[in-house]
Amino acid sequence: MSEPKEETLHRVRNYVTKYCAKTGLTTHSMPEVTDAVVAGLANHIDTLGKPLCPCRFYPDKAEEIKSRTWLCPCEDMKKYKYCHCMLFVNEDGMPVTEHLPEGHEGIATYGVTKDPAPEKYNPPK
Amino acid sequence: MAAQVTDSNFEAEIIESKIPALVDFWAPWCGPCRAMGPVIDELAAEYDGQVRIVKMNVDENPGTPSKYGIRAIPTIILFKDGEVVEQVTGAVSKSSIQDMITKKALG
Repeated sequence: MSEPKEETLHRVRNYVTKYCAKTGLTTHSMPEVTDAVVAGLANHIDTLGKPLCPCRFYPDKAEEIKSRTWLCPCEDMKKYKYCHCMLFVNEDGMPVTEHLPEGHEGIATYGVTKDPAPEKYNPPK
Repeated sequence: MAAQVTDSNFEAEIIESKIPALVDFWAPWCGPCRAMGPVIDELAAEYDGQVRIVKMNVDENPGTPSKYGIRAIPTIILFKDGEVVEQVTGAVSKSSIQDMITKKALG
């Protein structure tokens, strides 16, 4: 797997900073967690042309892009403020799960975790 | 350090294993996988001889994750006698994996 271009990494880091401000969330306290996801998104931009989430397995990445479901910010993030990839987390370093519907795997994994900025929760209508 | 398994040796190493086996399906650029990696390594040492604890890079080995319907990673699957007995997804705690092993593999 090739290393992403520095300019793409820069773009993704800028996006992450802006999206944290927009949502009131933060990046993980372990820099290696954030660095891995940023590099994964940048690699997918370089190789696929889109920021496909690097925390999922896709039998066919090119096909997956067409659905747009897992392009960052993904549908889970836009609808529920939930980032399985732990790129956007609360102050405890946990993905926000309080807006998830019952039965979502995020609740099974992390329990109910609080949104530190509910005033910035604006799910699509 | 947990060993890596591949599509080609998965059957021999996991399905035909004489002892229970736990597989961490991961990818290099997955944040929660990075958080889980050291935990899996510790568990591999702790359960050495009792449970075979290994990792599989899904980017390099697409056949096995496809077969088991894996989508989000990390996904951890516990096998006993070649059958899936438990499966969890995400950066779960070390104690929750230990509980899973105790209840489902060694119980």
